[in-house]
Amino acid sequence: MMHAFESLQLVQSGIAQLAYPSEMSNSVLAPYLFVSAAMFAIGLVGFLTRKNMIIMFLCTELMFQAAGLALIAFGRHHLGADGQTFVIFVLCVAAAEAAMALALVVLLFRHRESLSASAWKELNG
Amino acid sequence: MQRCRFSIEHRSFKAPTGESFRDHPAGMQLSLYGAYERDTVDQIISPIALYLVCALGAGGIALALPRRGFTQTKDKAFQYLGAVVVTAAFGLAALLLGMKATSEGNPMPNYFFYPFALVSIGASVRMITHKRPVYSALYFIMTIIGSCGMYILLSAEFMAFALIIIYAGAILITYLFVIMLATQAPTGDDDEDLEDVDAVAREPILACAIGFVMVGLITAAMFGGIGQLPAPTMTQAQAENAVLAQLPRKVDKILDRAGLLDDGWRVARDHDTGMAMIDPDARTIVIELLGNDAHGHESAISTRILTSEDWPDSLKADNLDRLGFNLLNDHPMMIEVAGIILLMAMLGATVLARKHTELEEALKAAQARKLGTMLDGTTEHDGHPSGGHA
Repeated sequence: MMHAFESLQLVQSGIAQLAYPSEMSNSVLAPYLFVSAAMFAIGLVGFLTRKNMIIMFLCTELMFQAAGLALIAFGRHHLGADGQTFVIFVLCVAAAEAAMALALVVLLFRHRESLSASAWKELNG
Repeated sequence: MQRCRFSIEHRSFKAPTGESFRDHPAGMQLSLYGAYERDTVDQIISPIALYLVCALGAGGIALALPRRGFTQTKDKAFQYLGAVVVTAAFGLAALLLGMKATSEGNPMPNYFFYPFALVSIGASVRMITHKRPVYSALYFIMTIIGSCGMYILLSAEFMAFALIIIYAGAILITYLFVIMLATQAPTGDDDEDLEDVDAVAREPILACAIGFVMVGLITAAMFGGIGQLPAPTMTQAQAENAVLAQLPRKVDKILDRAGLLDDGWRVARDHDTGMAMIDPDARTIVIELLGNDAHGHESAISTRILTSEDWPDSLKADNLDRLGFNLLNDHPMMIEVAGIILLMAMLGATVLARKHTELEEALKAAQARKLGTMLDGTTEHDGHPSGGHA
């Protein structure tokens, strides 16, 4: 138990971004935001291009991920725990979305035997 | 600082001399609508280079998106070429950001950041370009693991592990289940056998152009706004110690472990609130000896003050303490809302999934025809048992 505690502290001090109680400068925050924006855009491209409904919903999960990364990076910048709290909420919404979306996909698949989003063109109401 | 033509222009406020905007009474408002000289995009990266990198990445993704009409080897070649282009874009971005930071003497992110970022971006590109849904889901798990690494670098250890457990362990498994439930009988290894829904992308060039504009705009807006971010209202030590005062038993344990408490001593509690009596700024701790007073009640019979030299280094609230207090203390409503969302999702999924559905007439007829031809086939082959159908 003691060993586990000590190694956890070692991980924290060794890998963690900077000495913990210090501010994170803008030049460190920027790359995280860039990765977050890139992941969001990749998710968007995937959502627009792929026809398979399951992959489209996976892409929305990717966009959630990107938002979560930005939240945590900003939270670290502000030295607060709010960012992490919001990511918990985002996780919740993602889980709910996955349950609903997948139930819907299964229902639609049973009707048409196809996962193509364009099989449901007439739903464009 | 010389402003680039492409930098985002905005109203600039001049700081009252000798006064930082944090001390300024309207500081918060000021920082929302504009700030000082140092807040254009080119503080972080030159906008032209930024757009170049985005265009390169978009081109790589457009190359790698699934398409028909090529042989399998050519298709593979396109995929690898796309991967190389995306990696080049990533490397260029990392190089530019690093060069800018070092030239101005600013700190760079931890070296571990780069492999984690490469893993998450590369896996997410592979996720949207792979033709087989199961592999897409597995690559998404890679993306999650990459972002978990970045969470650890951002000292959000709890969220990192929660993410692996919840996303990779629960949500993605649900996806895998549905992929296997809702897919026609598995096709062979050949990509030609795949259905159009998986093998062909819809408008790849246009979508990549939109993605390029999107990432360019988001990063330009974010990098432009970074300089205007309000500084934290208190130091990390203050934030930690505010939580620490609410955890007297944890303080007891840490002091005991540091050998600062003799038998029967503990940290003094405030009478009304029960909070530990520690002063984070002066770094002093009040400890008390418990005993029975004249009336036989248990109370402090002796108190002592530990000075700042005694303050042990391990006496701080860790990330988990702060996250827990933040969630339960500052955002209790969020738990209720999350509960309602999850309940609704559960109800909705149950209602949707238990609905009995019939195949539509056209599909039914098609299936009947298919079945009919199969039956005809078996009767024809009856004389040759070796060529029978399964």
